[in-house]
Amino acid sequence: MNGTDNTLMAEVSGGAVAKLAVLFERHHRPLFRYFISMTRNQEIAEDLVQDVFVRILRYRSTYDAKQSFTAWMYQIARNANVDQAQKRRGEVIGIDEFLERGTEPVSPSPGPEESASQGQNLALLKRALEQLPEDKREILVLSRFQGMKYDEIAQVLGCEVGTVKVRVYRAMRALEQVYFTLAGEKAS
Amino acid sequence: MNCDEAKQLLADYWSKSLDEAKELSMEAHLESCAACKTEAERLGALWRGLALIPAEEPSAAVRSRFYETLAAYRHGMEAAASSKGNWSLSAWWMAVWPKQPAWQMAASFAVLVIGLGIGYAVRPGAPQQPKTDGSEIAHMREEVNSMRQLVALSLMQQQSASERMRGVSWAYRVPSSDTEVLSALLDSVNHDENVNVRLAAVDALHAFGSSPVTRTAIAQAIPKQASPVVQIALIDLAVDLKEAEAAAELRQLAADGSADPSVRDHAKWALGKMQDGSMR
Repeated sequence: MNGTDNTLMAEVSGGAVAKLAVLFERHHRPLFRYFISMTRNQEIAEDLVQDVFVRILRYRSTYDAKQSFTAWMYQIARNANVDQAQKRRGEVIGIDEFLERGTEPVSPSPGPEESASQGQNLALLKRALEQLPEDKREILVLSRFQGMKYDEIAQVLGCEVGTVKVRVYRAMRALEQVYFTLAGEKAS
Repeated sequence: MNCDEAKQLLADYWSKSLDEAKELSMEAHLESCAACKTEAERLGALWRGLALIPAEEPSAAVRSRFYETLAAYRHGMEAAASSKGNWSLSAWWMAVWPKQPAWQMAASFAVLVIGLGIGYAVRPGAPQQPKTDGSEIAHMREEVNSMRQLVALSLMQQQSASERMRGVSWAYRVPSSDTEVLSALLDSVNHDENVNVRLAAVDALHAFGSSPVTRTAIAQAIPKQASPVVQIALIDLAVDLKEAEAAAELRQLAADGSADPSVRDHAKWALGKMQDGSMR
């Protein structure tokens, strides 16, 4: 049952495909969170999670055990997302429609006032994140939601670690701008 | 450190991945530059806020779809492995059979010699070689069982009670000799917070009745159990498995004035069943 992701994937690659169940249990939720952040659509995000694990099975023999499994999996995830986006071109829903559909999961938790206020701030922050351009949103999702290190993100995005850090800074600047615009709209 | 260098290190500063020297140098710059300090704090607050956004959860269908796909893939692998010998043999033969008549004659002669050699080797009384086909099938079966075990164990660790129930139902598909699943079931019986999961786990233990571990564990679980319904299910299990070891616990329970009346009555009934001779 135990084992690092890399050794488990090496075993899957060698034919013990049942071990993929352990990797699925460890990663399907973060992966779903990545896809829902990128697509803003529950159904598509779930399809993409399925697609990633099917691709892992299909390409399992190409996995190099020296490579980080997480980085490899998110490379597959990015490709799956690009392929899916090409298929659904023109069908992508806008942010307003997304919010109207009621999939907004952030709700102020009942309890102390500060917790309710924090809930509202987080809902606003989430909206700001959703309005960021895709590349900026992706880098923040990978570093903050998926807990990936900058060198792993560099592998996924195919760039230098230094570039990742600068992009993170720029994405945060952009996020701040959107966040305060939304906060201003709300206040006025 | 100047402002530009500081901006390049902000990502590391927020994620606390700067080494000590750089961290000190960063702190020194922030103390001396009000603009950078304000920016680092403002963006840092948003950075921390991002980690607090609640995670959205996928529906349960994602898990069932994955396990169905995995099972189908495993099935496909097995089917491919078992049919390998049939169709590839002719293709292989076409590829190796020489095109020139002289080489064809030579090959025929070689086949004749090999045939005679095999005939000699397998004559009655010749030493038998162990067969390997059976071991391959056993290996595949082992892998299927290992997958079922993984599914059962993974599901039984989930937060959602309905997922844990599904995990318990997978326990029926593993061999009764699987001690890992057995210990997970016993753990569910004793510690799961949900009564329905505990009840389902008690039912699943029927299949593991031949193990002495199960028998001892049932006897120990009866007095510990907080829910009367689960206690009654455990008593029924002890009766079904003709578990004489539980008699002492049952006698104690039957005499315990603080126990739930229906549990007490059921314990008496079970003791009666044991004394009827069915336990001997």
